[in-house]
Formats: sequence, C-alpha cells, structure tokens
Amino acid sequence: MAVDGDTDRTLSVDSRGRLWGLHATLFEAGLFGATLFGIVSLCILFGYIAFDAFQPLTASIRWYLLIAGTLILPTAAGTLYARRQPAVRAANAKAFGVVGGALVAALCTYIVVDALSPYDVALVLLFGGYLPAVFTLLVRRTNRTTQLGPTAILSVGGGLAIAHGGYDLLRPIVGTAAQWIAYFAIVTLPVAFGLWIVGRRRWTRQTARRAVLAVIVSVLLLVVLALGLGIDPSFWVVLLSVGAIPVAVVIGEIVVLDPAGRLGAAGPFVLIGCLSVFLAVERQLGLEGPDGYLTTTLLLESWHGLDASSAGVYPQIVGSIVIVGVMGVLAFPVGIGAALYLEEYAQRSGWRGRVATLLEVNISNLAGVPSVVYGLLGLALFRNALGFPTGIVLSAAGTLGLLILPIVVVSAQEALRSVPDSLREAAVGMGASRWQTLRTVVLPEALPGMLTGTILALARAIGETAPLVIIAVATTKYSPPDGILSSATVLPLQIFAARSNVDPAFRHGIVPAAAVVLLVLLLLMNTTAIVVRNRFDRRSQQ
Amino acid sequence: MSNQESTQTVHETAETSERPESIQTPRAPAIEAHDLSVTYGSETALESVDIQIPDRQITAIIGPSGCGKSTFLRCINRMNDRIDAAAVSGALSFKGRNIYDEHVDPVALRRRIGMVFQHPNPFPKSIYDNVAYGLRIQGITSEIDARVKLALERAALYEEVSDSLEKSALDLSGGQQQRLCIARAIAVDPDVLLMDEPASALDPIATAKIEDLIAELSEEYTVVIVTHNMQQAARISDRTAVFLTGGELVEYDDTETIFENPEHDRVEDYITGKFG
Repeated sequence: MAVDGDTDRTLSVDSRGRLWGLHATLFEAGLFGATLFGIVSLCILFGYIAFDAFQPLTASIRWYLLIAGTLILPTAAGTLYARRQPAVRAANAKAFGVVGGALVAALCTYIVVDALSPYDVALVLLFGGYLPAVFTLLVRRTNRTTQLGPTAILSVGGGLAIAHGGYDLLRPIVGTAAQWIAYFAIVTLPVAFGLWIVGRRRWTRQTARRAVLAVIVSVLLLVVLALGLGIDPSFWVVLLSVGAIPVAVVIGEIVVLDPAGRLGAAGPFVLIGCLSVFLAVERQLGLEGPDGYLTTTLLLESWHGLDASSAGVYPQIVGSIVIVGVMGVLAFPVGIGAALYLEEYAQRSGWRGRVATLLEVNISNLAGVPSVVYGLLGLALFRNALGFPTGIVLSAAGTLGLLILPIVVVSAQEALRSVPDSLREAAVGMGASRWQTLRTVVLPEALPGMLTGTILALARAIGETAPLVIIAVATTKYSPPDGILSSATVLPLQIFAARSNVDPAFRHGIVPAAAVVLLVLLLLMNTTAIVVRNRFDRRSQQ
Repeated sequence: MSNQESTQTVHETAETSERPESIQTPRAPAIEAHDLSVTYGSETALESVDIQIPDRQITAIIGPSGCGKSTFLRCINRMNDRIDAAAVSGALSFKGRNIYDEHVDPVALRRRIGMVFQHPNPFPKSIYDNVAYGLRIQGITSEIDARVKLALERAALYEEVSDSLEKSALDLSGGQQQRLCIARAIAVDPDVLLMDEPASALDPIATAKIEDLIAELSEEYTVVIVTHNMQQAARISDRTAVFLTGGELVEYDDTETIFENPEHDRVEDYITGKFG
C-alpha cells in the first residue's frame, strides 16, 4: 500500500494512522479466516462424504436438467417471490415447518411403535394413560376436594403395575383386536384430545368438538377405504393422524385468518407436486439418476454383511431413534429436577450452600468427562451391578443418559437463570407458594430453553460410539429392537463395523451413505431444537 | 361511581368504602414495629425501628439510598425471607399478630399484604391472566371475570384495555404495566398495599396517574409507599417516615409536620436537599 511510498512522512499522524488502519484490517481478515477455516474444512468433509454416498457423476446430464427444470427452478422462483412479501414468507415458513415436522413425527412414531409392537404400546397407554385419566376425572367429579396431582400419579402407577402384573393375561386379549385399532388408540385418540385442548383455547368449544369429530370420522373412513382395497390401514392411520391433521389445522388457520400470506401456505404442496412431476417424467423418459448408495434399500432394508447393494440400515435407524427416545425419557426428568433444586431450592449460604456449590461445580466438571469413561461406568452399573443382559436398549440408553445428564442439568440451569427474578418476586409477592411460583411462572418461561438444551444434548449422544462399544452393544444387528429389554444397535456402531468390511463397496459406499443418514437425523434434532426455541420465544413476546 | 356498586357485589368490606370521610378519624394501627432490626450478614440494614402505621392511610417512607427503606417494606410481607442471609430481630405485627411468629405462614401473609415493585413486572401472560393470577393461585373459581374487571377498573386501566384482555401484558406501555401490576395486587382484595418506588421508572404523566390512583386506593387499603421523590411523598401521603443512613428511623409524623416543621435538623437538611 501507500505506506512504502510515504517514507518521508512516516512520523506524521497520517501515515501512522494508516498503518494502524492496515493493522486493524489485517487483524479482522485474520479473524474472518479463522471463522472460515472451520466452516470450509467441514464443507469439504461433508462434500467428500456426500460425493461417495450419492455418486453424482453417474447420473446423466438430462437427469440433472430435469431436476433443475421440475424441482429447483420452481422452488427458487417460489422462494424469491415469497421473500418479497413478509406475510407470504412467514406463512410459507410456517407451512413448510408443519408439513416437514408432521411427516417426520408420523414416520418416527410409526417406526418406533412398529418396532416395539403396537399391542404392547397400546396396552401401556391404556393402563398408564387412558384408564388413570378416566379414573382421576371420576374421582374428582365425585369428590371435588381431591388433589389431582397425587391421584393422577398414583393411578398411573397402579395402572402400570396392573399392566405389568397381568401382562400374560392382558396381552392376548389386546392382541385379538386388529392392528389398526391399536394404532388408532396410540395416535388418533391423543391427537384428537390435543386438538380439543388447542381448539378450545383458540376457537370456540363447539368448533373444537366438531374438529375432534372430523378427525375421528376421517380416520375411520380411511380405515374402511384401506380395508376395502385390501391394504393394511396401520401406516395410513398414523400418517393421517400425526401427519395430515396438524398440517390441515395449521394450513386451515393460515388460509382463514391470514389472507395476505395465504399464497405462502401453498409452498410445500407445490414442492410435493413438483416432486411427483419429476418422478413421473423420470420414469416416463427412463432417465438414469445417480447410482449412489443412499437408496430406499439402505433406508428400509435389514443389514446384509456380504452384498453392499442389498445392505440396509433400517434396524440401526430404529435402534438410534429408540435409544435416543428412552435416553430422553430417562435424562430429562432427572436433569430438570437437579437443575430446579440447584437454582430454585438450594440455599446459597451456610454449610448447605457449600454443599450446593460443591454439587454444582462437580456437575459442570462431569460434562467434560470423556465418553469412554462413561462407557466403563455403564458397564459397571448396568452389566455388573444390576445384571442386565449385554447390549440391551435400556443399558445403552442409561449409559448415554448419564453421559448427557450434566449437559441437560447445566443447560436447564441456564434456562432457569434466564427467567428474570422480578417475575419470581411478583409471584411470591402475590402469595404464591414456592411450587406455585415454579409451576405458573418459572417453568413456563424456562421450558423452551430446557427442551432446547435437552434436544441438543440428545443430538450429541446420537453420534456416540465409544461408550456403546465398552458396554458391548452389538455392532451389527439384523432386526430392529422390539422393546427396551431387547438388544439393539445404532447407526454409528454399524458405520464403525462396516468400515472394516473387506468389500470396498461397504467402506466407500455404505459407510458414507449411513453417515449421511446419521447427519440427517442430527440435523432434524437440531432443527427441532431451534424451532422449539423460536416458537416459544415468539409466544412469550406476543 | 360504578366502581363502588360493583365493589359491593364482590367485596364484603364494601360498606366501609362508602364513607370516605371516616378515613380522617384515627384507627388502630395496621402495622406496628417494635425494636425491629435487620442484618445481612455483618451489615446492619435496619436499626431498632419503632413505628405504627395507621389503617387505611398512605404512609410514605423517604430517605437516601441504602437507608433501609426497601428492607423495611420487604419485612412487612416477609419478602426478605427469600434472602438467606437476612436476619430479623424484634417484633413486627400486622393487626396485632407478630408476623415473624413461627406459626405465621408467609404465603398466607402475602395474600393479605400485596406488593407493587419498582419496575413493572407483569407476567408474560395475557392481561386477563395477570389480574386473575392471584385469584387462581388461591383456588378462587367464582366470578373471576367480574373480579378481574373490577380490579382493572379500580386501577383505572379498564377503559384502555377492555378490548384487548387476551393480549399479552408485555405489549402495554410502562405506565399501563405498572397500573396492571396494581390491578393484579388489588384483585385479591388485600388489606395492605406495599409500594416500592412504584413510579420511579415512569414518565411524569404516568407518574401522575399512579399518584391519583394511590390516593383513591387509600380509601380502602392501607398503603405504605417507599419513594425517592420528596414532592411525591408530600403530595400523596398522610404520614411520612424518614429513614436516614444506617437503617435508622429518625422521624415519623404527619406529612405536613415533617415537611414544614421537622423536629430533627438532619431531617430538615435531607428534605431541603442539603444531602441525600
């Protein structure tokens, strides 16, 4: 720069200032470079994996032209149009969110329930959910002074005990029903109930009742239709209840209440239409897509150790989802409980204050303990002390649950700390007891943060390999787990095992393809976390 | 006024509010402190305070920063219990009952002694839910609509928000939020209202509205208000207590006496702005 040419004026303020300016620019560029470094290297890595998984060079130019013409151009045009109008954009985002979320929720529900046996799930739900709810409401109706909380807890416990004790007797009885009835009980009734609760608050009581009726009638009609066509209605019951009904409610609300953004709601359906056109034209013209490894076979079939083209990771996907779910059920209440104690109940002074501080410091430190060490802990606890069989879902979920527990506690503490103390004072000053303050003010404010933290912690655990190797979870499985006491494996372990297969098609095809599946699962969980946080944030600011 | 009619329908104490002239007659003190001291660890916040706060009048507490006025206010509804390090000694009685007695439930006490804070702190809920909060946590289920409306009317907020009761309280302006907090506090019909510098975060117009409101509320409630603003104390209060540094109650008398003819030179110096 000009600094060199201005040597005769080096002592003037000007050139020194310029030198400092250069200095600052270089420093900023350095910082920007450091930021880029991580992103760029990750992009190269992901590109490399995706390249191996999809084999994009094997597809013809015409296939790419078709995909550009039918999918990318309409989507890009739609996005550009939506970006110009905030109302359309918001409705568009909402519509895509609900369609994507409902589809994922429906698929996950079906996969998990199908693996665990719908009859078992229905039995647990019947005795642990529906009957206790009915019982509690009946008790409450006959005696108004009954405390709802303890009654509900006791009746749920009692119901589950009955289901457990009478399992051998009850299971065959439940098993005589058609499978779709079990699915109806598992998904349709809760969705209808949820709709009733939401509808009562958002619309009138009558509309809510009609909506519930419409849901039940439409599901039953679908069942009749499917039985008439000779198809098993189970999957369609789940897809309609969990997938289509929330979509219908949200899209319906946009169409009715938001005339300015109405057009945006069409976004996901246009995309689905484009996709169908693309698939139809592709088949009609006989165009060859890329001959990659990320195929429906990989997603839906069972593992095959010898032939890469027929190997699938369905059992591993189910295993990952089930283990993450059980882990969440185990870690969330314990973690939230610990955080509540430390933030809301623990004394800050005296010897009890010192104990609380000690606990807090230790929990923070546990977050950094290597996962292999947690594996050893899990081995000692579940295999040796409790005598669980090797490699079952419960011990894997328990071990990983211990691993993420400190993260859940710390993030829940953060969430609680972010609730302004003035709100607690307001509640306490109104004569709310400690529990009432928690339930009515602190928890509603902190819950989104707690959920976000927990989901992110679960997302971290979904990729854990080392602790599962230590507790001797099988690296290869040919069927999905059928209960929390059955053995299972997870995607990262299968990737780890496939990496040492002699066939290069496994090492360079199946491994990256399974890695992409794992990354997509991870991405879905992170998206959920972000959506939960944003959605609740917006609600509390309304 | 329609206020008073609806007051009668809901509140048992309504008949007393019909005779505002009776305020002037002396009554038994609502709150009485004897030798009340508060320490935070080794720090003394209140030093042996003796005071009798009369029923259904406005008592202002003034004094420089850190003189213990907020501490005293927070003793009355035992909000200091939330601070582990705070230690209270001496006697503080509400309607003749020592509130630091071990048999007194602070939760029940706070339901009779409402509080309004320095910064408006509505809950992030709807306006309606904010006002109904106290009723709901006390398990009151009858006539919630009427009580909410009445409280909003008495807090002079109903006309401004009657169309938007379901909107979030956080959308209100600062002055409206503070009146909402007052409505929330009076919805449960407490005996005493404690106000900790309720107008210090507000602009002059909002402050004037709050002051008018406090004057009206004193017909039914015992109001204890902490303020930094001496003109405010002079304008609205019946009696004034002056705390000076060290948590000491230096002088307590009728507001007129305090502002026109204080007994202590230190109080006169403080009021005329020589320090503080």
